[in-house]
Amino acid sequence: MRIDYRIDYPVRLQVNFDVEGFTILLGQSGEGKTTLLRALAGLLPAEGEPFGGLLPQHRAVGYLPQGYALFPHLRAWENVAFALPRGPRRRAQALELLLRVQLVDVAEQYPAALSGGQQQRVALARALARKPQLLLLDEPSSALDAGTRDEVMAELISEIHEFGLPVLAVSHDPHLAALADHVAVMSGRRIVQQGTPAEVLSRPASAAVARLLGHRNLFTARVAGHETDTGMTLLQWEAANGTLLRLPQQSELAEGQLVQWMIAPAAVWLPSLKPELYRTDNLVSGRVETRLNLGAHFHVALRCGTERLWLAAQGNLVRQHGLETGCEITVDLRSDGLLCWPHLA
Amino acid sequence: MIGAVTLLLIAGPFIALAFATHWSDFHFASGDVRSMGVSLGYSLISLALIVAFGTPLAWWLARHSFHGKWVLEAIILLALLTPPLAMGILLATLFGPYGPVGSLVAHTGVELTNSAPAFVLAQFYGALPYYVVAARAAFEGVPRELEHIALTLGKSPWQTFWLVSMPLARLGLAAGIALAWVRALGEFGIVLILAYYPQGIPVKLWVNLQDIGLSAVYPLMWVFFLVAMPLPLMLGLASRRQRLF
Repeated sequence: MRIDYRIDYPVRLQVNFDVEGFTILLGQSGEGKTTLLRALAGLLPAEGEPFGGLLPQHRAVGYLPQGYALFPHLRAWENVAFALPRGPRRRAQALELLLRVQLVDVAEQYPAALSGGQQQRVALARALARKPQLLLLDEPSSALDAGTRDEVMAELISEIHEFGLPVLAVSHDPHLAALADHVAVMSGRRIVQQGTPAEVLSRPASAAVARLLGHRNLFTARVAGHETDTGMTLLQWEAANGTLLRLPQQSELAEGQLVQWMIAPAAVWLPSLKPELYRTDNLVSGRVETRLNLGAHFHVALRCGTERLWLAAQGNLVRQHGLETGCEITVDLRSDGLLCWPHLA
Repeated sequence: MIGAVTLLLIAGPFIALAFATHWSDFHFASGDVRSMGVSLGYSLISLALIVAFGTPLAWWLARHSFHGKWVLEAIILLALLTPPLAMGILLATLFGPYGPVGSLVAHTGVELTNSAPAFVLAQFYGALPYYVVAARAAFEGVPRELEHIALTLGKSPWQTFWLVSMPLARLGLAAGIALAWVRALGEFGIVLILAYYPQGIPVKLWVNLQDIGLSAVYPLMWVFFLVAMPLPLMLGLASRRQRLF
């Protein structure tokens, strides 16, 4: 489904992107994400397709706002039945929907007695009762606590997949992007990138997008020149004692130009145990500042000059290298993992 | 402690009334029973009119913003703070036999002074502003998001009003109705000017005091409480019992 909307008030914005399966629209607070959802639901004046010009009650849209907006005076099943036509089958239909979100046992409860995750699923069942063509979720992960968030979201997404509905979820939470089928990124009140999570996460279109996606290793450097024979561009990372970095040639960058560059923590390699077998790309030395033990693997922060460089490695490798806080180590920044963009002041 | 003192201050006059009443010689003056019927019957009619006319206005004030809204708010405030006697005079000016509206309506054979319609009119003006203020606050307390969600679930604005706004505002609306009832039933100043006849309880209290004395006032007072209390009491209990959220 293609979304093409223009909004003038309360914020001016123009967006054009695709919704495929479970789509996440990522953007910082204040970008107008909620405004877009409200406009799609017909609650704000806007121009565009789909549903252009229809009153909210005539749009086949399921809208789950932040906080879910369950009716406090109605029981869970009555909330779900709200959108169903009156008739003898009304209660049975509502219970069927509650069964599909695995909440039939709280059907008689009022919303105040439900947990955040349960409220969200009741709101989902209520929205589905409307038989929408598009489901709109506003910050679906914001009211969930960190411990259960991934679990609840995975559950929600699999339930939504079962219903086979296109979903547009807006969020500032980069965690969600990895769970989605399609990602669109909003910056400066417009869509700056869209694609599959793999594409977008591995190839952010700009440093701003990289930051929104939660990438940590974002730094500034200066273009030192181009090596035409090897097809490499050289960057001088001044903050880390002027270390030279080589990455696949980007001829549009001029020598001396300031750039922002990034590397995924997984593309920062620990030294090989058999150095003779591997060619190194960019050796950088640093001191271990922090180690985050995430079970099977570690995130390690290295202090390189005035910057902090993160690497991700398997636990056994970290132990073999004896990476303790305070020890010095030289790591290899893989050239093909380096991304860079002109610096926008 | 302060609460108990306050309660005692409020209860004081009624305790005094209990002692002052001649229980052995409890009887009504002539016309007292008729005044009870007048008060009860016409107050119910005014209350129905107040709810019917006041609710849409309260809703409109709560949910719409427009240029010059403050003028409307000022008019309601004006109605609220005008002393009842002054309001009675103003109404007599407008609805009296020589007033612009009064003389017009008189052609249809309806008198808007010293008549049943005049009595209802006086109560309506006395209590309406109180109801509008309370009902407006009640509607403003309903989260607008819930009304919006009802729309996205396919309900018309009218259905949304009945299924979401009214149930969620009902505590405040019940308080507004109770307040309007008490104001309408106890209205004296406006009624005195516009509808001295038919005599309701408040005017009859005044008449009894003038013609007979205090002994004729106390029994009617007890009846007034008996007539006035049940509705607000019931509304209060009902809304408290249903407070499930």
